[in-house]
Amino acid sequence: MVLVLALGDLHIPHRASDLPAKFKSMLVPGKIQHIICTGNLCNKEVHDYLKSLCPDMHITRGEYDEDARYPETKTLTIGQFKLGLCHGHQVIPWGDLDSLAMLQRQLDVDILVTGHTHQFKAYKHEGGVVINPGSATGAFSSITYDVNPSFVLMDIDALRVVVYVYELIDGEVKVDKIDFKKAATSHSSH
Amino acid sequence: MLKLNLNLSEKTKRVLPDRLGSLIAGFETKEEEDVGESGLGLDHLGEELETFHSCGYDLETVSDEEEWDSMIRPIPVKENQSSVVSVAEMISADEKRSELDFEANQMGTESTVDGLAIVLFSEVPLSSSRSCFVMQPELMGTQSIVEEFAVVLSQKHINLEKLQGLSSSGLPDGGGLRATAWKLLLGYLPASRDMWEEELAQNRLKYASLKEEFLLDPSKSTNRNYEELVASELEKKHDLDGLLRRHDISHGDHPLSNRKASIWHQYFQDAEIAEQIDRDLQRTHPDMKFFSGDSSLSRNNRQAMRNILLLFAKLNPAIRYVQGMNEVLAPLYYIFSTNPDEQNATNAEADSFSCFVRLLSDSVDHFCQQLDNSSVGIHSTLSRLAGLLKANDEELWWHLEITNKVNPQFYAFRWITLLLTQEFNFSSIIRIWDSLLSSSFGVQEMLLRVCCAMLLCVKSRLLSGDFTTNLKLLQHYPEININHLLQVAQELTPTSYFSLVPV
Repeated sequence: MVLVLALGDLHIPHRASDLPAKFKSMLVPGKIQHIICTGNLCNKEVHDYLKSLCPDMHITRGEYDEDARYPETKTLTIGQFKLGLCHGHQVIPWGDLDSLAMLQRQLDVDILVTGHTHQFKAYKHEGGVVINPGSATGAFSSITYDVNPSFVLMDIDALRVVVYVYELIDGEVKVDKIDFKKAATSHSSH
Repeated sequence: MLKLNLNLSEKTKRVLPDRLGSLIAGFETKEEEDVGESGLGLDHLGEELETFHSCGYDLETVSDEEEWDSMIRPIPVKENQSSVVSVAEMISADEKRSELDFEANQMGTESTVDGLAIVLFSEVPLSSSRSCFVMQPELMGTQSIVEEFAVVLSQKHINLEKLQGLSSSGLPDGGGLRATAWKLLLGYLPASRDMWEEELAQNRLKYASLKEEFLLDPSKSTNRNYEELVASELEKKHDLDGLLRRHDISHGDHPLSNRKASIWHQYFQDAEIAEQIDRDLQRTHPDMKFFSGDSSLSRNNRQAMRNILLLFAKLNPAIRYVQGMNEVLAPLYYIFSTNPDEQNATNAEADSFSCFVRLLSDSVDHFCQQLDNSSVGIHSTLSRLAGLLKANDEELWWHLEITNKVNPQFYAFRWITLLLTQEFNFSSIIRIWDSLLSSSFGVQEMLLRVCCAMLLCVKSRLLSGDFTTNLKLLQHYPEININHLLQVAQELTPTSYFSLVPV
């Protein structure tokens, strides 16, 4: 039972000052084993804050990140799953399914986590799963209207993943759950 | 001294020796005959004296053999034989009494006279006659002890009193005897052998269900719910591609939930206790391969002990887990899982849990901080220990409490709460626990006695030491002969329950 937090596109301090209070109260240290961050934090304070939640943090570079040393893409294995991480501004057209599928094949991962669109999405495409955690602060985006703050928590347990989606809609936290299994053979997922 | 009549008549003179002579039992009749004749009286006296002296040796001086026979004081038969047999007879009489009591209870009769008749005049069952024959284990080899135990344990209905008596002089290692004996002594196994299978199966099942209820991984339980959901929704048709289905669980359970009823929340709260338990388990008996190290055996053992302790902590929210409970669990778990019987060894976890609960039920109040100063708390027990010491050796008590101001709570706290598991090496602990569990006084009472005995055994060193040396000595108790220690403990004078010494 491994808990993985996926979030990104906070744009602190440029477009937002902080995470919503309700999110902050839920995110306490000691519960989460890994954090994967799509990018655009943007400054060091946010980096340190996330590091305090969990020491094992993986982050890729977004176009506004002040730290230039983050990699463009990252892959890691958790349980039986291979996860891929990328900010997404490199993949053009932004948010295009087929292009992201191409990236997924390139990285050879089961789950690809990207951001940049500031909109939560989770879908199955051509044998893999793409998850977009959205923007954790609900920062302004030029390509999306009505951005709701959101992030994703994945519970990886052997061959099964439960994805918990936390969204702040009208001041209330809404939690959704998505299940899927990775089959030993191909496409008998959910 | 009174002024006697100095004018002693001749008659009186004659009388006095006779009176002296009559001190010898059984000869009055003869003397009365001879009073009248002084000459004969003296002769008779001489005869009597001779008889008294000879005791069968100077046969020549005796005139008449018949007279001689009647004059000899009957010598008890016992004195001629060796003392061993007489002691053996006493022990056998004791055993018979225990058997009688046992049988009387068995048959539900109250009069032991009938029982006595039955035992003496009818055929004595083979087992009891055999046990009467095999006396005094210290004189015989260990083989016979094992036999003895095997005999006691093979009965259909176990005589617990007998088992207690035998166990207090030490259980033999190996052969799984100790495991079975401990289970019986703790009351886990019933006395009637037929019911063992049933009891064991029931208890193990109960443990498994408790584990499932309390120790379940939250993600596994959600998995189970998910399977049910899928089955019920008949989700056979699924989209190969496209948006993944979302289920709204805003009012349900999720990992970051802070609600009390959330199983995730409970899981994370228990994680704290689990962490502490893990840390303590790493430090349990670091010298023993069974508990420490990285081998899969020790890991499995630690995992099993972790489950037991965590379950106990969850079932007893008032005490939760206290550092040191792992030490109390360790000997139990070790004995049960090194049982040569396969089935018992694999179920050691379940058995250890039940026995651990039973063992701790007496002393559980010691762990609760709120009860510290109450009449069942640790302070009261410590003052009972002080009272016991005072009743047995006032000099030592005075020296420790008053002169040195070495308070029992400085050293005995650990002795009592951890049942002496931190003071001796592992094999000594097992031997001491044999006596603790089988004592007829009860575990706590015997524990206090052993503690008192520990103090008495180092008395000379304590009397010559000051505060620091004594405290150091008692906190790092030296190695001594365990059998001697237990002997001293057994022979202590008990004190009344309520004699509390002001500490």
